Amino acid sequence: MTPQAQKAIRDDLITSDKREINAIAMEVFSNRMLSITESMAIQMMRSSFSTQIKERRDFSVGIFDARGNLIAQGTHIPLHLGSLLGATEALLERYDVANMVEGDAFICNDPYLAGGTHLPDIAVITPVFIEGRLMAFAANIGHHSDIGGSVPGSISAKSRSIFEEGLRIPIIRIARAGVLDEDLLNLISTNSRLSEERRLDIQVQIAVNNRGGEETRALFTRMGLDAAQTAIEDVLFYTSERLRRRIELLPAGSFSFTTWLDDDGSGSDPLPLVATVSPRGDALHVDFDGTGPQAQGALNVPRNALRATVYYCIKALLDPELMANSGMFEPLVISAPKGSIANPNFPAACGARSITCQKLAGAVFGAFREILTVDRLVASSNDLLPTISFSASKPDGGLYHYGETIGGGSGARHDGDGMDAIHVHVTNSLNLPVEALESEFPFLCDEYSLVVDSGGAGRQRGGLGIARQIRALHDGTIVSVRSDSYIHGAEGIAGGATGGLSTLTRNPSSDRQESLPLKVSYMVIGEGETVRIHTPGGGGFGLPSERSIEDIARDLRDGIISRPAAERDYGSEKIEAALNLL
Amino acid sequence: MYRIGVDVGGTFTDFTVTNTATGENRYFKLSSTPADPSVAIVDGIEQVLKTFDIAPADVSYIGHGTTVATNMIIERRGVPTALITTKGFRDVLAIGRQTRPALYDVSITKPDPLVERFRRREINERLNAKGETLKGLDKNELETVLDELSETGIKALSVCFLHSYRNAAHEEEAAQIIAAKLPGVYVSVSSRVLPEFREYERTSTTVLNAYVGPKMADYFDRLEEQLRERGIPVAPMTIHSNGGLLSIETAKRLPVTTCLSGPAAGVIGSAVVGAAAGVGKIVTYDVGGTSTDVSLIVDGRPKFTSSRDVAGYPVKLPMVDIHVIGAGGGSIAHVDDAGALKVGPRSAGALPGPIAYQRGGEEPTLTDANICLNRLNPVALLDGRMPIDRAAAVRAIEDRIGRPLSISGEEAAYGILQVAVANMSRAIRAVTTEQGHDIAEITLFAFGGAGPLHAAEVAREAGIRRILVPQEPGTMCARGALLLDVSLDFVRMQLVEATADGWQQACEALGEMLKEGNAWLEGEKVDADLREFHLAIDAHYAGQTHDIRIPLTGVDSDGLARFLADFAQAHKAGYGYDIPGQSVIIVSCRLQAVGRVPKAITATYSGGESVAAAKSGEREVYYGPQEGWCTTPIFRRSALPVGVDVAGPAIIDEMSSTTVVLAGQTAAIDAFGNIIITN
Repeated sequence: MTPQAQKAIRDDLITSDKREINAIAMEVFSNRMLSITESMAIQMMRSSFSTQIKERRDFSVGIFDARGNLIAQGTHIPLHLGSLLGATEALLERYDVANMVEGDAFICNDPYLAGGTHLPDIAVITPVFIEGRLMAFAANIGHHSDIGGSVPGSISAKSRSIFEEGLRIPIIRIARAGVLDEDLLNLISTNSRLSEERRLDIQVQIAVNNRGGEETRALFTRMGLDAAQTAIEDVLFYTSERLRRRIELLPAGSFSFTTWLDDDGSGSDPLPLVATVSPRGDALHVDFDGTGPQAQGALNVPRNALRATVYYCIKALLDPELMANSGMFEPLVISAPKGSIANPNFPAACGARSITCQKLAGAVFGAFREILTVDRLVASSNDLLPTISFSASKPDGGLYHYGETIGGGSGARHDGDGMDAIHVHVTNSLNLPVEALESEFPFLCDEYSLVVDSGGAGRQRGGLGIARQIRALHDGTIVSVRSDSYIHGAEGIAGGATGGLSTLTRNPSSDRQESLPLKVSYMVIGEGETVRIHTPGGGGFGLPSERSIEDIARDLRDGIISRPAAERDYGSEKIEAALNLL
Repeated sequence: MYRIGVDVGGTFTDFTVTNTATGENRYFKLSSTPADPSVAIVDGIEQVLKTFDIAPADVSYIGHGTTVATNMIIERRGVPTALITTKGFRDVLAIGRQTRPALYDVSITKPDPLVERFRRREINERLNAKGETLKGLDKNELETVLDELSETGIKALSVCFLHSYRNAAHEEEAAQIIAAKLPGVYVSVSSRVLPEFREYERTSTTVLNAYVGPKMADYFDRLEEQLRERGIPVAPMTIHSNGGLLSIETAKRLPVTTCLSGPAAGVIGSAVVGAAAGVGKIVTYDVGGTSTDVSLIVDGRPKFTSSRDVAGYPVKLPMVDIHVIGAGGGSIAHVDDAGALKVGPRSAGALPGPIAYQRGGEEPTLTDANICLNRLNPVALLDGRMPIDRAAAVRAIEDRIGRPLSISGEEAAYGILQVAVANMSRAIRAVTTEQGHDIAEITLFAFGGAGPLHAAEVAREAGIRRILVPQEPGTMCARGALLLDVSLDFVRMQLVEATADGWQQACEALGEMLKEGNAWLEGEKVDADLREFHLAIDAHYAGQTHDIRIPLTGVDSDGLARFLADFAQAHKAGYGYDIPGQSVIIVSCRLQAVGRVPKAITATYSGGESVAAAKSGEREVYYGPQEGWCTTPIFRRSALPVGVDVAGPAIIDEMSSTTVVLAGQTAAIDAFGNIIITN
């Protein structure tokens, strides 16, 4: 355990005073706050230009109290849990609230200076005044399409430092007393390849906060400021109390699990990602000591992306209904060694943090294996965010660009097989339908299917990964792929087998077939050439020998497992019996 | 003559009868018969005819909304179904959109596809996105596959090839071969069910259609036959999720369109009743036993959507946009281990139901709270047919809610009500502000058994100033079935840039669709002078994916400039900006063919003599810690006079519902028989 973690844990063990809450007023207040964040979220989604905000809902909105406690947050992406915290902390550190006035708004994105998680995520924070008194902050953060840097979209796994990833914005005032700082807006938007879009989206963000601020002001005024303050304290206390109850049920001790990043994008050896969870009374420490060194590329996870990853894990593992507010963060202590991929030193690049976040989430899930009751256990999943992108020149000289992230199998649970073909952990993005892909881009999708035999064998089988095969229709098509898990697959539980691995193949089933590494940049392919990616399957649960004959028969009938793989995993005797059922 | 509207719900089958000569409505309710829903419909109609002394030959119309298809999907009681699809794509149904159903809860898993993998078979054939043939349909392979599938005992078969929305030739070719080879099998073809792009949603919708097809056809046949046997001269109509009427013939071909038919009829009915009453902006608020349905109506037009799930399976057909939240009368209240009061999402449903109903319920529900507070009749409901055990409800709320929170029983019951109301208000605010409307301009249209009971509190919480409670709100969906037009939606994908050429293509498509729509209305036996056609184009800026629907007044080959201007304006209204110079993509052409059904709502409601005469008693009702218990007059709705104010607090009772009016609010019956409550 790192020294700062030990200290933090000691501090945290001083349990807060118990508090009598007004249960009814608090529940009504929570609903009212969620109504405000929902209305902010709707406005943000409807008005924004960035595809990531509009279509993939890669944004979040929230309301903080005057001290910087998160009261309510609206988000569709777990990686955004607590993503607004860093910005608000930076604001309160840098600026004196006494100097803020109504109509001010602040902006930031930097992971090192302003609690960001990567540069395309820009946050705007707006203080909310009632009768001249600072009562709250409205905040939102959204993934902008481009913020400059070495590549379009600003994210390249190959970036060597944050200076290659785009414009860094420390926490800074963008509007003063209701007047937008046009010069600053101009500077920021000029640094984006899509500057008009930036200019508009930032104004949308300011407008969203104004709306949230107005509604908060109306609510607090209607309730009375004292009642509002009491309800805030109740809801924060209740949330932390609720999580503490869950933590108290866990056995004391330290429990570790290791997942692997098979390379860091710069040809490194496999990198261990180690999570150790230590329940101590009603507090919980999550430490990443033993995790490998920071990457030369952009796979590093800055502090707030790590926090979001851990918050996601805790919510998923201990209490999925837990409200996302500062109360939830209170019983948790998070630490990672300086200079590791989970706590990189400035100016390490971190644009492509998501893959690492997924692996870290997998490590935290793994560390909980020994301490959760069986009904909450899940074998490891495709803890990845495989990204493929294809681009080609248009006849008129422009550029087509198609990119998406691909799901995989999830881990088996004690009472059921894993889910096939889904996004796990910190993301949950829609695919691009094949018919939409082929309508918009000069590519053909030859196949979009489940990967047979990719589910880890077990009493309950892991879910299957996805196969996607794309054919280029033009010469000079440029392919980039960012994936992992070609050495280490998803581990099973209680004797369950490991799930299938990632593969990437050029021109499969032809005499030009070629196996590719799982991180490819700017590979040029010609007309008629194909690229096929397989994403990993999930791990199994329980010994394969305990799988029922009926389940094996069904898998064989459905072609989910091939006969040779079935015989290898379950034995020829069982296969005979299963085949007799068909 | 008499027109009969029917709504088949999970617990009750409701009836509304209109005398076309007088405009007078009668209402009736009996228990549903889930094993064969047509039994309750036919029994009910017999009883209705007897009770109201109507000759079968005098029935001029029967329209019914039904959840038969939905329940079949939820309970997975459809038939063994196969899927024929393009080589390489049999797992589209299993992959879906590659998302998981719950972000945090790993125990919630996506449902297994309705067609098992061994019955999902691939055939060599391929079109590109322009609809050009890259590879012809391999008929021999199809024949072999059909032989193999028929051995697996399939009763229905769906066909979905890539890009068939552009060119249906391969699907039609395959359909012919299937019809010849497997004559007894129900066939559902994607280009006929939903000729729109996005293969997962199209496949899912087509598969659902096949899955429920054979049993729905049996159900419709049985219903038609039994009504004929009883001397009713008209064939029953059914309702689709878009709130339009369909003949049984069309419904048998497209049964998946009936998935949301009951609630849709309720919303369309609300729109008609609301428009007659002169209300511009409405949020419908339909509270049932397990859920609350909320939807927005502006200027008599409900909002439509085409992305809904049924039991986790997407159905991408145009339907009334109804927002459903898991809070209803049966929602269970509990105090969690950290001391918060939660209401729902668990529900006691119809069984075991609320404690006070004495059907085995042990956990306090929202209905129990209303009984404790004396808002609901604490002795009996449904005109005295259902006895109530208030003491048991009070005891449970004191034990399970009051004690852990250190508050009194009535405070606990009031707390349950407040928490539920806050949750429902949130949904109402969301559907209102999502469309950019000001909540203060909204009228809350309350129906369902428990809508009027909570409407006053919900309106106050949400900032709504006006409430409309229609007659017999508990049977509003059945009444809605009397207020619908015949309609069907047609769509053709275009995906062309809105240039002169693209516009020409769109106009040609619309012209053909008009012919198609006319032919369909002809088949539905709609007279030419009652036919209407609503044309629209879905479009987006190049690079976007969210479509905006632009209504057209007609097919106008010179209309491009006007269309582009309308699009820019609509984009600005919806998103706050437009992008001059950016090219616009025409995604699809849409046509709704409508056959108008005569159904005027007249202001002929007569009402009772006086408020005093309508008063049936009074009881102590609890209104929160500040106001406490207040003596509240109880009125019989049918006896209240038109146009006379009743000051709150007051309770207005009728067979299917109870309306609460709070202090500071005023209720009055309007000329259509609605209760209007204002703050």
